[in-house]
Amino acid sequence: MTGTPADWSHGMPLMAGDWFIGLYQPSPETVGYWEAVARRELVLKYSPAAGRWYHPKRIVCTETGSTALEWRRASGRGTVYSFSEVHRAPSAVFAGSVPYTVGLVALEEGVHLFTRFIADAGPIAIGAPARVDFQVLEGGTLLPVFRVGAAA
Amino acid sequence: MAGIGSATAIVGMGRAMARKGDAEPKTPLQLGAAAARQAMAAAGIERHQVGALFTGRTPQSYMVLQYNQSLLNELKIGPTFCSEMTSHGGGALGTLQLAATALHAGVIDYALCVTNEASGIWMDQVGSNAAWEGDLQFEAPYGPSTPSIYAQTAMRYMHEYGVTAEMAAQVAVENRRWALDHPHAAMRHKGPITVEDVLSSRLVATPFRLLDCAVWYPGGIATAVVLTRADLARARHTELTWLAGFGQCNTHEWIGERMGGWGYAPFEDGPDLVQTGAGVAAKQAYAMAGLTPAEIDIAESSAPFSTINLIMLEELGFCPRGEGGRFVADGGIAYDGGLPFNTIGGYLSFGQVAQGLYNLQEVVDQIHGRAEGRQVPDVRTGIVHMHGGPLACHSVVILSKESLA
Repeated sequence: MTGTPADWSHGMPLMAGDWFIGLYQPSPETVGYWEAVARRELVLKYSPAAGRWYHPKRIVCTETGSTALEWRRASGRGTVYSFSEVHRAPSAVFAGSVPYTVGLVALEEGVHLFTRFIADAGPIAIGAPARVDFQVLEGGTLLPVFRVGAAA
Repeated sequence: MAGIGSATAIVGMGRAMARKGDAEPKTPLQLGAAAARQAMAAAGIERHQVGALFTGRTPQSYMVLQYNQSLLNELKIGPTFCSEMTSHGGGALGTLQLAATALHAGVIDYALCVTNEASGIWMDQVGSNAAWEGDLQFEAPYGPSTPSIYAQTAMRYMHEYGVTAEMAAQVAVENRRWALDHPHAAMRHKGPITVEDVLSSRLVATPFRLLDCAVWYPGGIATAVVLTRADLARARHTELTWLAGFGQCNTHEWIGERMGGWGYAPFEDGPDLVQTGAGVAAKQAYAMAGLTPAEIDIAESSAPFSTINLIMLEELGFCPRGEGGRFVADGGIAYDGGLPFNTIGGYLSFGQVAQGLYNLQEVVDQIHGRAEGRQVPDVRTGIVHMHGGPLACHSVVILSKESLA
């Protein structure tokens, strides 16, 4: 997921562990997110017309119908909305990392992202503060992750 | 919606099953075609009478671009109305809703609905299913297993309502008890389990332990249904099961996108992790049937984890929001005396086929007294819930022995 394909429609294999299906890859509506990640920045979609933030996949502002959504840098702060500690990995790629924690972070901007939680201190718990960091995970790509505890 | 409840009836069903390790392994198309021919024979209709064919989504273990075309080609039928109903796996039950609306509109006389899957024979379901349950760009790179995706809902639900792992474990215990009575249940040979067994089984993804999770069905199942209008059903057919009500609600694709943003009823600021479309679908079905949850004799849900079953009992109206844990702990779905719930053993102990109508078939069998070894006395009504994706798409159907029109 690092790098930008010159023409996304030619297909860049996106691996889910050992599995690949379909055209789920950085495409014109999401490539700005992955370009920011490569700079170790977290960006979200923002609708100036509504003054509202959106998930990086969104194309249309629900409130105004505007497609003029901008990439804006997010604070990187939020709280743990929910989580699960994975003990049985979905594939061999992740098997060496168990247990690890995946979950949803509720960002200050009102957007929720699926992510990896990394505990700096104490247990990961719903409502705990979390702060963005960037790590190369098992698939070999740089991804936003969220640290919970001391560093948050 | 007026007048469509009990306007149509099931007049024939067919089923084909296969197990992993059979001497001649079967494809979904082989199973689907066999089930379809059986359903047509049971209904006493010929190929030229099939006005509509509706299938669920293309089977994971038989990926062709237009599965419905493959099937109609094999059956040598030429329906004038034909489509796949996707909604992830939930479309299998949604096909009946398409059939009912087409029949009620009068554009066809007979509809054939077929769903089939044999991923238990041909695929590594643990690995591949995770890729079907998460966004491959924004979720899968983090390594979620399928249980860990549903666990997001379970953890939040337990947090908000004080539901415990012990309460959820009771669902697994009851499902297993029913599975002991079903000749085809995947976990029948494993014998009964206790709450302690569930709580001491190994962790899969918190809060789910092994016995909290659905088991993949070690084989394939195809189910076919023939439906017709009330007038034709009464004039030409003898064994009728009425489609008293149905409903559907679809809220999102992947779990990371489900949060918020509706801005209108009933979800308003939601949906959140705990609100699902199942409640909306169930309300529509009850209203159409003119029934309340208290008037339902048997219920089957596709919920694939113990805690998710608690939420679905709430969404189907059997207890208030947040009370599913206490309802079950107090014997609400007890094998002896509770609501007959997941009488095939549920996805936890009968097993899960990626899409299927075996829950629907169970209610039809129960209504007509054919549920050998597990027959619930005097079943007149039943509700079937099916969902697809990470609780993204929900279909609900209410069946009845007599017309409720």
